[in-house]
Order: sequence, then C-alpha cells, then structure tokens
Amino acid sequence: MKKFLSIFRISFQQEFAYKLNFVMWRIRNVMQILVFFFLWNAVFENRTGDLLGYNKEKILTYAFMLLVIRAITLSSRSVDVSGQISRGELSNFLVKPVNFFKYWITRDLSSKFLNIIFSLLEITLLLIFLKPNLFFQTSFLYVVFFIISIIVAIIIFFAISMIISFIPFWFPEIAWGSQFLFIVVVTEFLSGSFFPLDVLPMGVYKILKITPFPYLVFVPIKIYLGNLNYQEILVSLGIGTIWCFILLIIMKRIWLKGLKVYEAVGR
Amino acid sequence: MNKAIIVDRLTKNFDVSERQPGIKGSISSIFSPVKRKIKALNGVSFSVQPGELVGFIGPNGAGKTTTLKILSGLLFPSSGFVSVLDFDPWEKSHDFLKQISLVMGQKNQLWWDLPVIESFELNKAIYGISDRDYQKNLDELVSLLDVSKFLKTQVRKLSLGQRMKMELIAALIYKPKVLFLDEPTIGLDLVAQQNLRDFIYEYNQKNEATILLTSHNMNDLVDLARRVIVIDEGKIIFDGILEELTEKFAKEKIIKATLSSEDDIKKLDQIGFVKKYSFPEVTISVPRQTVAMAASELLQNFPVTDLTIEEVPIEDVIRKVFKGGLK
Repeated sequence: MKKFLSIFRISFQQEFAYKLNFVMWRIRNVMQILVFFFLWNAVFENRTGDLLGYNKEKILTYAFMLLVIRAITLSSRSVDVSGQISRGELSNFLVKPVNFFKYWITRDLSSKFLNIIFSLLEITLLLIFLKPNLFFQTSFLYVVFFIISIIVAIIIFFAISMIISFIPFWFPEIAWGSQFLFIVVVTEFLSGSFFPLDVLPMGVYKILKITPFPYLVFVPIKIYLGNLNYQEILVSLGIGTIWCFILLIIMKRIWLKGLKVYEAVGR
Repeated sequence: MNKAIIVDRLTKNFDVSERQPGIKGSISSIFSPVKRKIKALNGVSFSVQPGELVGFIGPNGAGKTTTLKILSGLLFPSSGFVSVLDFDPWEKSHDFLKQISLVMGQKNQLWWDLPVIESFELNKAIYGISDRDYQKNLDELVSLLDVSKFLKTQVRKLSLGQRMKMELIAALIYKPKVLFLDEPTIGLDLVAQQNLRDFIYEYNQKNEATILLTSHNMNDLVDLARRVIVIDEGKIIFDGILEELTEKFAKEKIIKATLSSEDDIKKLDQIGFVKKYSFPEVTISVPRQTVAMAASELLQNFPVTDLTIEEVPIEDVIRKVFKGGLK
C-alpha cells in the first residue's frame, strides 16, 4: 500500500511539471461543455416541455455532469504507455517489483484526482456566471447506483486505453500519440460526451447499448438524472460489469502475448 | 543454491523487418514487408557461482545485451533454460526482482521533471527498503559517487555524467544480490570511472554479490573481471580466466631484445614483424609456433645483449575481441 501511495504522490507532482499541457486539457474540457451548454440552451429557448425525453433543466445538468464525469473516467495518465512500449522504456517497469497494471491504475487515479479538483472549481465558476437551473439527485439509492456506475466506467476506460496502448508491441514504428487521440475522440463520441445517446435513432441507440462505450459517460449521467428505473439500472450495470470482465481478460491476454514479442529496444 | 546463474543452450531469435531507404522503400515495406530472422543467441551455455564477477565481452551485436535482458526477465527466450537465484526470470516474481538489478548505460528510470531524490524515494517504497537501510545506502552511494550537491536538482538539468551516477544510485539503493551491468562506466569522466570500478569491486566483495558486466572499457575488464566470457555472433567462443584469453587467442608472441650495436631494420624484419625499433630496444611480433626458432635466430645473427619473450598484452587481445577478429 505504501508503494502505491508513493507512486500516487510522485505522479501527482509530475502532473504539475507539465502545467501548460494540463491547462490546455482543462480548457478543452470547459470549451466542450460551453458548446454543449449554449447549443441546448438555444434549442430550448422558445420551447416549454420535453424534447427527446429531456427538459431544459436536465439537459443543462447533463452538460455540467459531463465536466465531472469526464474528469473522473476519461482523464488518465496511461496514454504514456504506448510510447514507452515503442521506445523500449517499458523495460524500466518490467525489472521492478511492482505490478504493471496497479502502477498505471495508481497513476491514473492521481491524474483523475487532480482533474476532479479542477473540474469542481470550473463548475463553481460556471455556476456563478451562467446561473443555470440544475437538477440535484436526492434519492440515496440513485446516488449509490451512480457511484457504482462510475467505478464500472473507470474500469472500462482503463481496459480500453490499455488494449490500445499495447498495439506498439506489434507495430512499434507507428506514431501512436496521434492514433491514440483519434481513438479517444471516437470513444468520447460513442460514450455520449458530445450529446445524450438517446437522441439517436432507436436502432442505433440499441446497438450502442450492447457496446462498452455508453457505460463510460452516458449511463452514469442517466442514472444520476433519475431517467432510468430500477430494472433499467440493473440491466445497465449488469452489461457494464460484463464488459469490465471481458475487457480486463482481453487486456491481460494481450499484455502477456505482447511481453513475449517485446524486444526491449533502445540499445 | 549451488549456482547463482545457470544458462543452458539458450537461443533467441528476432524477426527484423528490412526496408529500403527513401519514400519508395517506405511504401513497398507496407505492402510487402521483408522479414529476416536473426539469431541473436545461438545455443549459449554457462553458469556463474554466487559472488563471482564475470566480464562479458564481444563485438557490438554479439548478443551480450540480449543475454542480460533474458537474465533479467525482459526478453522471452526462443529456447533453452535460464535460472537466476533459482528463479525463472521470465516469471518476474517480485522476490526475484527485489534481488536483481539491471543497469544499462543508456536507460533511464529517473523521473525527468522531478528532483532526483524523488526517484530514489519511489524506489525505496517499491523495493520496500527500511528507513535505516535506505539512509545508509544512500549516504554511502552519494558520497562514493560525489553527487550530494545534486540530490535536489531536477533530473533534466543534470549533465550526462551526473545523471549516469544517479541512475546507478537508483539501481543499487536496494542492495541487489545479482547485478547485470551493461556498460556501467559509459559517459563518466576518468575519476568517476575509477571510483565506480572501486565501488563495484567493493560491492562484489562486501555483499558477495554476483555480477555480470559488459563493457567496452578495457580498464573495467582488466581491473574487475577475473573470469571472462567471450561471445560472438550469438555463440560463446571463450569462457575462462582472463589471462588464458591471451594463450587462446593471441596467435603471436612478443620478443623484446636489446641490441649492442645498431642494425638494419630490414634484416630484423625477416625474423618477424617489427612493431617498434628505437635503438637499442627492438620489439618483434612472431607467430606463437615459431617463437623459439625466431629467438635463436635473433641470438645468432644479431648483437643481442638481452632478450625476453612475452605474451601479447591483454589489452591487445581484448581489443581484438571487440573487433570480432577472433576466428
């Protein structure tokens, strides 16, 4: 445990070393929320009642929730892994008595921690300036479900980003930085970071629901908003949990295969 | 435990994709990649006793680093058996990893943007070192390598030499029982090189640590390694005492003679290859088999006052090993 506290601590310090990167990433997040907010604000301008199952209060809450959820699930440090594999720096970890996955989960958590703090500050500022009417979930049970769905989301995102990061084991020469970004953007798109997924045509939405992506952002927010009944929540959490296991198993297998072809280059 | 390291008929193959230079080459490599199998190690066997310090030498690309990487669990062997401290390195058991250290001259485990001391503290936690041992080891290493001034400096602001020393401290702070040192003195100034050699020697003696060392630095080998393993093109071509390397590989012997009167260098050249001639001293290199004949010829035909027959200096033999000229 002490081991991981130390990793958490040093990783946290490291985040501060790249202040500009961090600030840009935060600005990107806030910009995205502002776009989302003003777009839907305009849509509801001359309208009373629901649109696509959302009223104004809930859609604006969706926007604000995005800021927090993205900080919790989509912010991570493990983007570095692909580069370390292709440059051979992975060797540094492999000779150390520390579990690779626990190491990166810890670093991710430290990144998430910092991002959560900032997202809360940003939300406070936005609340002051935009003065929106927001929806607050008061049911204890729904909050518990929400927290469980967040944990599911964190695990799914970790597994997906690890699986992508392992590609350089086989194709080390590809510049994975940009590819990775592309995949993250697609993931964000399918996860409901740009719009609630249930505004899509029913068929598309149904297909999406059996993929792991909605469980990253969309489902947690829906649960928080109270838009799902108990049965729907349990089904969602069930599918999400199954995806956790599937992805973790795939991740572990690819890792073990990758290690066998790893050439520890760099010398 | 009888042996610290056992390697038996170890092979390692790499698939290397080749590419013609230029844009055309890049494009054709996408559609028809040319793969070539390289045998980096081809049936390597040796063993090392606990506490032994062995020099591992050979030309570039001979397979030294590959062997060290397999021994520390980084690479998966294509075939053969490997055991270090009775562990299979590939398993990467934490009990195993806590007892070994791989130091590579150009690898860095330090956190580039943070003060050096942070990286040490992290290793303290990862390797589970007690406060007392940590402080003791740190003080010892820091004073030995003379870097106490830089502990709070950001790693990126250190010079290459300072950084190398810090890498070493990070790699040794947990007192590993088995050390794999790959070019440990690379990039260090002469004083630091000597300090480090003294340190490795002492570390080996005091902790009875097993050390496998590769180096292109002649002094590292002559000072430290009693036993050397020579590897070339993935095969071991010599394993024994450093001095025996000369007997095995030096095809010549050296005759040193003192002359009482000056003589024609051309005549001396018929005896053997005159390496150096500055009257009255002459140094001639002759084939090992004919050294006795050459010496008697020299004594008969030249005004010799003194004559000795010597082995080729070990440095010359090692230099030849590095060039891969041993066949």
